[in-house]
Amino acid sequence: MLNRSRHRAAVFVAGVLLVSLAACDSGGESSEADNLSAVRAGAMATYNVGDQFKATEPVKFSIMLLSNAAYPYKSDWLFWSELTKRTNVTLEPVAVPGSDYNQKRSVMVAAGDAPFIIPKTYRPSEEAYISSGAILPVSDYIDLMPHYKDKIAKAKMDAEINTMRQLDGKYYLLPGIHEKPWQDYSLAIRTDILEQLNLQTPKTWDELYTVLKAMKAAYPNSIPFSDRFSQPTPGGNLLNILGASYGANGGWGYNHATWDASANKFFYTGASDKYKGMLEYLNKLVKEGLLDPESFTQTDDQARQKLANNRSFVISSNAQTLVNEYRPDLAKTNPNAKIAKIPLPIGPMGEINPASRLESGVIISKKARDSKNFVAMMQFIDWLWYSDAGQEFSKWGVEGVTYKKDGGKNVLTDDVNVVGLNPKGTKHLQKDFGFYNGVFAYGGKPELVQGFFSAEEQENQKIMNARTPITVAPPYPLTEEEREQVTLWETPLKDYVQQQSLKFILGQRPLSEWDAYLTELKGKNMDQYMEVVQKAYDRYKREHG
Amino acid sequence: MVTIDTKVLATRTARPKGPRATRGYRVFQAVNAVVLTGVVVVTLYPFVNIVARSFSEERYLIAGSVSLVPRGFNLIAYERVVSDPMFWTNYRNTVVYTTVSTFIAIVLTTCYAYVLSKKHLKGRGFLIGIALLTLFFNGGLIPNYLLVTGLGLRNTLWAVALPNAISVFNLLVMKAFFESLPVELEEAAAVDGLGTYGILLKIVLPLSKAVIATMVLFYAVTFWNSWFSAFLYMDRLDLFPVTVYLRNLIAGATGMQSGGIVDPDAVQVAATIQSVTIVLTTLPILMVYPFIQRYFVTGVMLGAVKG
Repeated sequence: MLNRSRHRAAVFVAGVLLVSLAACDSGGESSEADNLSAVRAGAMATYNVGDQFKATEPVKFSIMLLSNAAYPYKSDWLFWSELTKRTNVTLEPVAVPGSDYNQKRSVMVAAGDAPFIIPKTYRPSEEAYISSGAILPVSDYIDLMPHYKDKIAKAKMDAEINTMRQLDGKYYLLPGIHEKPWQDYSLAIRTDILEQLNLQTPKTWDELYTVLKAMKAAYPNSIPFSDRFSQPTPGGNLLNILGASYGANGGWGYNHATWDASANKFFYTGASDKYKGMLEYLNKLVKEGLLDPESFTQTDDQARQKLANNRSFVISSNAQTLVNEYRPDLAKTNPNAKIAKIPLPIGPMGEINPASRLESGVIISKKARDSKNFVAMMQFIDWLWYSDAGQEFSKWGVEGVTYKKDGGKNVLTDDVNVVGLNPKGTKHLQKDFGFYNGVFAYGGKPELVQGFFSAEEQENQKIMNARTPITVAPPYPLTEEEREQVTLWETPLKDYVQQQSLKFILGQRPLSEWDAYLTELKGKNMDQYMEVVQKAYDRYKREHG
Repeated sequence: MVTIDTKVLATRTARPKGPRATRGYRVFQAVNAVVLTGVVVVTLYPFVNIVARSFSEERYLIAGSVSLVPRGFNLIAYERVVSDPMFWTNYRNTVVYTTVSTFIAIVLTTCYAYVLSKKHLKGRGFLIGIALLTLFFNGGLIPNYLLVTGLGLRNTLWAVALPNAISVFNLLVMKAFFESLPVELEEAAAVDGLGTYGILLKIVLPLSKAVIATMVLFYAVTFWNSWFSAFLYMDRLDLFPVTVYLRNLIAGATGMQSGGIVDPDAVQVAATIQSVTIVLTTLPILMVYPFIQRYFVTGVMLGAVKG
């Protein structure tokens, strides 16, 4: 099986290369946003912020739709019919099972067979499609999208948007936008143990250390912190959030080059003192028996079992896993247990909020540009994903049917349920109506994003919102050759950093060998790598300011 | 798949009747028995475990205390799966796809293999060559996708059935089997007035039940378990086979979806639901084994041994 999938991957890569080679010379055209008069069929003549989009004639657009296992696509969802009623647009979904969405998207885009609208695309996966000219440089057309422009301007998101720019100064992905960063992932702690031991909820990583120590003293047979989210990346979440607090993300968030805002330059993440600081901290926890060494290898289920069976008290968490997994788990094995998510602990970087305000977004097939309804389509996308009315619609549904206004706030109607907010409801907002679908509903105003949050999560986010957002790294788009070269260096470097990080953390390699480790990284082209990044950064700054 | 191997091996180790076994042979028997029992345990355990999980209560799964016997026996998960209409739609698709694809595959493979087994056929080497070529080279994912799209096969049963109709490995096994049939039989039939098709249908095929049963099993299992081509060439959920449904349930449920918060009730039963779906999906194809097994052993052996 493994062999076969590897074989498939190889064949697939070869296919992509072939297609991109064939299409290479079609790229590189200059902005053509001005001659849109031929593709205005169905578009509104004037369409500004606050306007309800409605096509002047019935139009149809194809869309790639991720079908979530928890609420599989249905063609009779109220979402579709109501959308057509409001906008005169009929969407024709190609439903793709969520388990393999990315693969099907890649095949369809490479085969030139993709639907016009392709949502749920995470950066930087759109970059693979650029060179073949299969997707549209959306930045050329944002004049057609008043709500989008307005949102970016109001939230002052230019720096974030710039990170998406390619060598040509354009970007190819319409991102989902949060007006406030939402740092979801943090740690969950057994609060009943805290109370019992008379401890405060830890606010910093150092306080966490004292808390863990006290837990260990009270329960010598436990290892108080046993973590999950380690597959496929060891310490995926822990190294990411702890690294953010130290100013050098590891785990999921590992980037080879990290921006140092105070020094105004990039440094190699895995070789920095900040990264070393994080490793020292974790090494201390492991050495004193506070952090389970298996945290970096075990499956999520194993970590959950340890938590449920009182063998650990602290674990990585987001708002969903807390409510959907830990609490039900514990309720079944230990009814007296209480567990809560804490705001991200504070580290040497101070009170920061490391979350990005950008979400997964929409890419658009190049061939949509030739459709006579192109302008209408861009206006439609603008309305559905970026206008307040569109965002409220895709999240809450239809007033009077799925929700009602209660003193200026939206509440679900009596027989509609979602995320357990209305347990008596017989109908489900996602499964039966098609609203609050991850494809359409994300981002937006804080009130909207937090609409379905529990009171405690809103409390958490209030604390996180008060913290300073991190400085966004400037873009350093690479040329085709540079990217090829850099890709060859990246994998060995990343593997080595990951592997050695674990050795340092688990104490298999003493931290006194850090300098030797740096030399080994140099042997793996670390310096050359940073040179390319620096050069690309300088070039972009020179050419696009 | 692995369970079959053990069965095959187990049959082979049956004590032969006849002269007394030597001491060395008896030691070998004993070692064999121990090792093979180990293999059986290792291969059976995951399956029994899944069955036990499917009947258990969720909280015992979370506590990790379900191994071979269900704890907190209940049928709630089964009721939930069985009450999902999409599960049955996809299940029906699997049955239809498997039946039709297997039928097409058997017909084509038999014809091709029979032709190739005739040494006097002109261009035989070339015909074998083009079959073997596909064993080592293929067009690749995207060209295949373009081809299937270009032929207008997308969203039809044929997208699953036709591209996979001939498995070269199965073809070679069948060819070897046909070659091992005595030429004299066919000559006698020809003398008695049978034409080429008469010989194939009335003489050769009735003698080939073993190998055909084996091929049916090989193809049926492959088609039953396959999900990728259906996933690639179908654009509607109601066209997918149950394997895609199962895959989405397992891989989709474990992935973190940002934005779309998962329904808490759904998540709580997920572990049992997954087990139930696995059991229901594998059960029919497992049932086929006992009925075909007697052909299976002889069929594989016959193709392999010559002379």
